Amino acid sequence: MTQTRRLYLEWMEQGGRVCLRVRGWAESELRELGSLSAADLRWRLAILPSTVLEEAGNFREVPPVAGQFSVDFESVCFVPRFPFIDGTVYSFLVDAGGGPDSPEVWTLQRPLFPSAPAMEVVAIYPSAAEVPVNLLKVYIHFSGPMSEGWADHAVKVCREDTGEALEGAFLPPDPELWDPARRRLTMLLDPGRIKRGLVPNLEAGYPLIEGTQVRVQIGPEYRDARGQPLKTGGKRTYRIGPALRSRIDPGRWRLTAPGVGSRRPLLVEFDRPLDHALLRHSLRVCGPEGTPLHGRGEVGAAESSWTFTPASPWKDGEYRLVVNSKLEDLAGNTAVRVFDRDVTVAGEAPSESGPIVVAFSCLPSTAF
Amino acid sequence: MVEYGTTINLDDFGLEVGTPAIKSVGPLAFGPEGILFIGDNAGAAIFAIDAGDTEAGSGAPTVTIDNFDTSLASYLGCSREDVSIRDMAVHPTSGNVYFSVMRGSGDAAVPVLIRVSGGGAIGDVPLDNVAFSQTVIKDAADEDDPRLVAREKLRTVTVTDMSYVDGLLIVAGTSNEEFSSTLRRIPFPFNGGSESNSLEIFHVSHGQYESAAPIRAFVPYQGNSSILASYTCTPVVKFSLSDLEPGKQAKGTTVAELGSHNRPLDLVSYEHNGGEYLLVCNDRHPLFKIDCRDIDGQGSLTVPDHSLDDSPHDPVTPGVGVPRQILPHPGVKRMANLNGSGVLMLQQDEDGHTHLRSYSTDTL
Repeated sequence: MTQTRRLYLEWMEQGGRVCLRVRGWAESELRELGSLSAADLRWRLAILPSTVLEEAGNFREVPPVAGQFSVDFESVCFVPRFPFIDGTVYSFLVDAGGGPDSPEVWTLQRPLFPSAPAMEVVAIYPSAAEVPVNLLKVYIHFSGPMSEGWADHAVKVCREDTGEALEGAFLPPDPELWDPARRRLTMLLDPGRIKRGLVPNLEAGYPLIEGTQVRVQIGPEYRDARGQPLKTGGKRTYRIGPALRSRIDPGRWRLTAPGVGSRRPLLVEFDRPLDHALLRHSLRVCGPEGTPLHGRGEVGAAESSWTFTPASPWKDGEYRLVVNSKLEDLAGNTAVRVFDRDVTVAGEAPSESGPIVVAFSCLPSTAF
Repeated sequence: MVEYGTTINLDDFGLEVGTPAIKSVGPLAFGPEGILFIGDNAGAAIFAIDAGDTEAGSGAPTVTIDNFDTSLASYLGCSREDVSIRDMAVHPTSGNVYFSVMRGSGDAAVPVLIRVSGGGAIGDVPLDNVAFSQTVIKDAADEDDPRLVAREKLRTVTVTDMSYVDGLLIVAGTSNEEFSSTLRRIPFPFNGGSESNSLEIFHVSHGQYESAAPIRAFVPYQGNSSILASYTCTPVVKFSLSDLEPGKQAKGTTVAELGSHNRPLDLVSYEHNGGEYLLVCNDRHPLFKIDCRDIDGQGSLTVPDHSLDDSPHDPVTPGVGVPRQILPHPGVKRMANLNGSGVLMLQQDEDGHTHLRSYSTDTL
């Protein structure tokens, strides 16, 4: 309808909450509005997000924004049940008796405080140059907290030679798998295409292509927790090697123990690269007394080794490296199970679960 | 905002009135006396809340709201893109429908519990000053080494589905680190988690390959004696509930495969004319229906099943594996049993709009 008057909309704070105030009413209209019950007031006045109003057409087709109107001597005020969203345009509607198709409509946008992109990708694991064709997981570390809802669009695997995206390589991230601080995202390669014998594997093959180079890339459009894009995107390139289907074998790990009396680190070199996230808490060192040692464990290059620097000097006697049976390699194999074991192959039968122990002793001190 | 009284004895369920520190809302399931379980994946907790829904049921509930996402966006004061519907559940006596919804994203995200009445009115259940209790979703791997407590915590378990069965809340979860399948069995009333236990679940495909994978969705059926579970890696697997004993490794029977580039999204069971049926919705393949009697008669799959890929539009696809009937309901994302009278479906159309529709069991 033709609007013959001017209402003034403004944001104001009331009791720590942002509300919408509308001024410019005729005195008689304010008196009338003030005499209405809450339900009648909500019939006469409504607030809708402007995009919703455009989609719905008729404002009676959708519920209005939840909240409460109040009327005082000069204005109408609306306190929303949920906070107004920065940057969103809201429509204030007045049903002045012209029917549901022709309310008065006034709009106001919540201010948006743009800030510069600040976050970036700080690491992508695995960090090895070559990964097996049945690679199961990729971890992406961001420098700060991120928003959900972007992993499906902004993370891709592409062939390095053609740039072509390998569609369907990642399992659609629903739900997305984040750490509590929303800084590390776990992406799974489609397990149905990795597991032998399942229809997806038989029909579509592995998500990755052996013998090619691929890159995992994170687009700069990825939004951080404040809604800002990244400073720059991130990527890591991999050579795709043969499938890996055997149990992790701690018996083949090479342990280099320091001398008694030193606080130099123990070096553990694995038989293959292992899962970066699980390595952080799947290994521990127990002393001759059988109790876990205090100290600092660090994952080595390409997740192929681990060092442990004890808080106290190494002693004489037998130490034990204790391996949690949940520790996985890049293809999801553990020390007790092959990821997708063939039950007809004896060599793939699971071994006893529970922690695996590798004993070692420190070298005699050379100080004497 | 909807206000309720309460009719349940809070002490019976260990509930206390207060404001639960809910960081996010995810999977929903109703328990005894209309107590609603809410999975909070950001907070690594499960809350049991007295929804205060004392309305008497008005016969067979039917709810249909076209462009439900637009209505939710309007109610919540945001754009459709800022509305993320995580799950839905039907109150066992009132028939009101509850939705877990995240409004906004990042730092601005707000968890909301939406309630839709049989008449289609949208409201929200206040999450402050409610009777509630909570349990932490335990993460065993971090607990085995006390020296790691001070470290930055990166591990989480993301709850993907929940069901309440005879005093136990059964919880399917996905770790953001190890790739395994663990079903947690949490006694309710919550007892601090001391009796919580979990078990590893494997499935054998085609009689040859045994593997583990997180369960995406599951549904109890046959009087809660069995569970049908769908995995992220596509098989549909049957377990007997009696197999799911603490400390055991359970092996399920693969009764169907859902095909390539396809993921199972949700399952629901319902009864009709003395028979029990299951519906499975998928992100690529159509909604399909299974007669529960066929599951026991089927036995395990011993060869791969291509039937659904070869003829996805056949009205009946006997193929290999349990017989499935394709239903003409496109874009189904979530389902819930409307207390016996029908099935409620959240359907997304080709334009990305989400609709809420009820279907009588006669029509399925």
